[in-house]
Amino acid sequence: MFETGVRQIRFAMGMVWGRRLDPDNVAKLVRDALGTLEEFGEPGAEVGELIDGPLHDPAARRDLANRGVRRTAARLAAQTQFYERRFAAAGVKPDKLDVAGLASIPVTVKRDLVERPEDFRCADVAPYLTTRTTGTTGRPAEIWLSRYEMDLWSSTGALAGVLRGEIGPDDVMQVNVSSRATASVQLDVAVCRLVGAGCRVLGIVPPDESLESLTTATQLATTPSYLAELETAARQRGMGPADFRLRTIDVGGEVLSPSLARAARETFGVANIRDLFAMTEVAPVTGRTCRQNHLHFDINVGLIEYLDLDTGEPAEPGALATVVITPFFPYRDCMPVFRYDTRDVVRVLDPSTLSCELAAMPGVGQIVGKADQLVRFGQNDIVTPRQLVEAVEALPTRPWPARYRVEVHDGRLGLTLPLSATAGLNDADAVRHFADHGLDVDLAFVSDDEATSLRPLRCDLHETTFAGRPAVIGA
Amino acid sequence: MNSPQWVLSTFQLVVALLGAAGASLGALFYFRRVRMDRPAVGRFNGRDVLILFTLLAILPAFYLLVPRWALESLLVITYMSALSIGFTPLLRPVALWLGIGLLIGADLWLGQHALGTVWGWQVFWTENSLIVMLAAISVANLYVQGGMQLRHVAWFAAGLAIYDSIFTIGFPITNLLVRDFVGYPLFPAMGMRISFNEAIVGLGDLLVYAAFTIAAYKAYGKRALQIAVTLILIFGAAMPTLSGLLINYIDARLDVIIPAQTWFGPAAIVCYFWMRRHYGPERTMKEYLASTDAVRREPPAPPTIPAEPAPEAVKPVSA
Repeated sequence: MFETGVRQIRFAMGMVWGRRLDPDNVAKLVRDALGTLEEFGEPGAEVGELIDGPLHDPAARRDLANRGVRRTAARLAAQTQFYERRFAAAGVKPDKLDVAGLASIPVTVKRDLVERPEDFRCADVAPYLTTRTTGTTGRPAEIWLSRYEMDLWSSTGALAGVLRGEIGPDDVMQVNVSSRATASVQLDVAVCRLVGAGCRVLGIVPPDESLESLTTATQLATTPSYLAELETAARQRGMGPADFRLRTIDVGGEVLSPSLARAARETFGVANIRDLFAMTEVAPVTGRTCRQNHLHFDINVGLIEYLDLDTGEPAEPGALATVVITPFFPYRDCMPVFRYDTRDVVRVLDPSTLSCELAAMPGVGQIVGKADQLVRFGQNDIVTPRQLVEAVEALPTRPWPARYRVEVHDGRLGLTLPLSATAGLNDADAVRHFADHGLDVDLAFVSDDEATSLRPLRCDLHETTFAGRPAVIGA
Repeated sequence: MNSPQWVLSTFQLVVALLGAAGASLGALFYFRRVRMDRPAVGRFNGRDVLILFTLLAILPAFYLLVPRWALESLLVITYMSALSIGFTPLLRPVALWLGIGLLIGADLWLGQHALGTVWGWQVFWTENSLIVMLAAISVANLYVQGGMQLRHVAWFAAGLAIYDSIFTIGFPITNLLVRDFVGYPLFPAMGMRISFNEAIVGLGDLLVYAAFTIAAYKAYGKRALQIAVTLILIFGAAMPTLSGLLINYIDARLDVIIPAQTWFGPAAIVCYFWMRRHYGPERTMKEYLASTDAVRREPPAPPTIPAEPAPEAVKPVSA
């Protein structure tokens, strides 16, 4: 108890002073947290303060953000070529910067990262692991991470997971994300190791192979599109809740439609499907979705801005905005970004209207898609990928994951679907289905063989196995 | 056996029994009815026992090295902390701090002004004993409700038995300290005086008895509680007093004081191993609270706002 108190003070002081945290100290706190749960069954009443920080106090939030921005900017100006030039060009003094003065610094975009990755590397940090974005939205960016970052993220993630009751020593996590997402996979493995849980990394293997092992897992980490494949495969095999012992499914990286979420709950017997926001470029800043379907970002480890898609100014409530994220030092170390424009679009909400269980944290609408995938018909007439995914996946045929292509012809929305997507519906009924979802579309169809070419998804990053092939003796 | 020796021993026995029983049963009463706040993360473990033991071991040095004002300040802070931790769940802040202020203020005043007469000493000891007893009950509950187990208390008592034997019988430093500093305000012991004779039970002893009682109850239930209390009364209160009487009877010139833990420590450790063998692993607080031994309370009224569900995970799931 005394030691734990000292560890907590060290952890808290590190956060307050903005110095590098000691991942070993946090790992020991994970062990302490496990012991606490073993003894008491739950953490103490003040657990929220420990894992969520002083979120309830706007003044504390503002102070945290200003200090984080200043600290991060000062370090980036000193350690990276890109931001040394950028701050100089903008004429700002990093150690005097605050949130109000950020507008003078242009946002960083993915192209910068792709074209000049070396310019983003901090000179005072040894790189440890490289991870690539999956490239489903263009040329992949390569991100270097330090060992400190990997250790810190896994230990803080494990601590929060244990204290929130999300993961424990009795859990077995099955990881069905691309094995090339090295950071994500390593973090899952490290979190399980720290917690004492089992971890099964499978990657994007054929869904039938995943299903067999999924029957023994209690946690599933995957993407919505692969979840759709798993649900479809399970349903086709006649599997139901009695065949699984899953208690949570974590998804992220793509739009999760209500239809798919509902079906996954029913098929896998899981009450809790957590729709998360995570992105390699801005890790460890993450977002979680509340029961009222708002997205709430973790503002302890980074600054989140919502910029109007047209003006680039802070967006007003009701407007669509791109999410711009600055992960703070000491949480991001090796290849940090400053004001990184994720191009993920959300609708900004009036904070005073939030009444969800996470209302203490700023919230916005769920991500509606990438900015360059919006279909614009006018200033306020925009069709978002989320609308399309939700409408397609709500079709009675359950054509999951949603495959479609959109084009605009003569001011009308053309929607191309695989032929089987509307099986059983005549053209009028199919058009009416989309009209019921607020979409006035002209439908076109391609054969099912061409479905994957309509819209690349993360489940397309297939990984092959030898399962199901005859064994070759002596090979 | 001469009469004064017999009377003194009886007096010591009564004080020891009252102290041991009061601390044990008071702590049990509190333990069954009050749930203390605890930190978000942390439970009492073996290292905490070592830290506690070390602090207790160096405490006498404070008496010798630190000026009186500093010593009394330290004791004021210690008792204020102990009492506020223990009684915050029971009292409103105004009543709590008023009560603590009155108790400690009275002790400081009595320690400075009331010790000229036997009656004054008796008033001082009554007041001081009340503070020490309440502090022992609070701290014992803080530790046990914080995860301290019976084995921790037993090993702590065993360590004290060795420590006390060395520094009371081998090198009688403790005896000298008691003689020199008794009557200081907030003296860490409960006691009483008749004529020129005093009977004293140290705060450390009371803390061990209180913790042993509730740790046994938490670990194994009512049967273990009965055994623990019996053990405390025999080996914690009766035997140290009576053995002193016996030794003095054999050789009155020795004037030996037998420290309580010299008797109780070995008994506690034997008792722990016996219980472990017969009853199995100790219950955790979670298991205790789920058992029929815990006092059931009415569930709280449903909240007027929706309860916060388990928030979402923070680990990235995709690149």
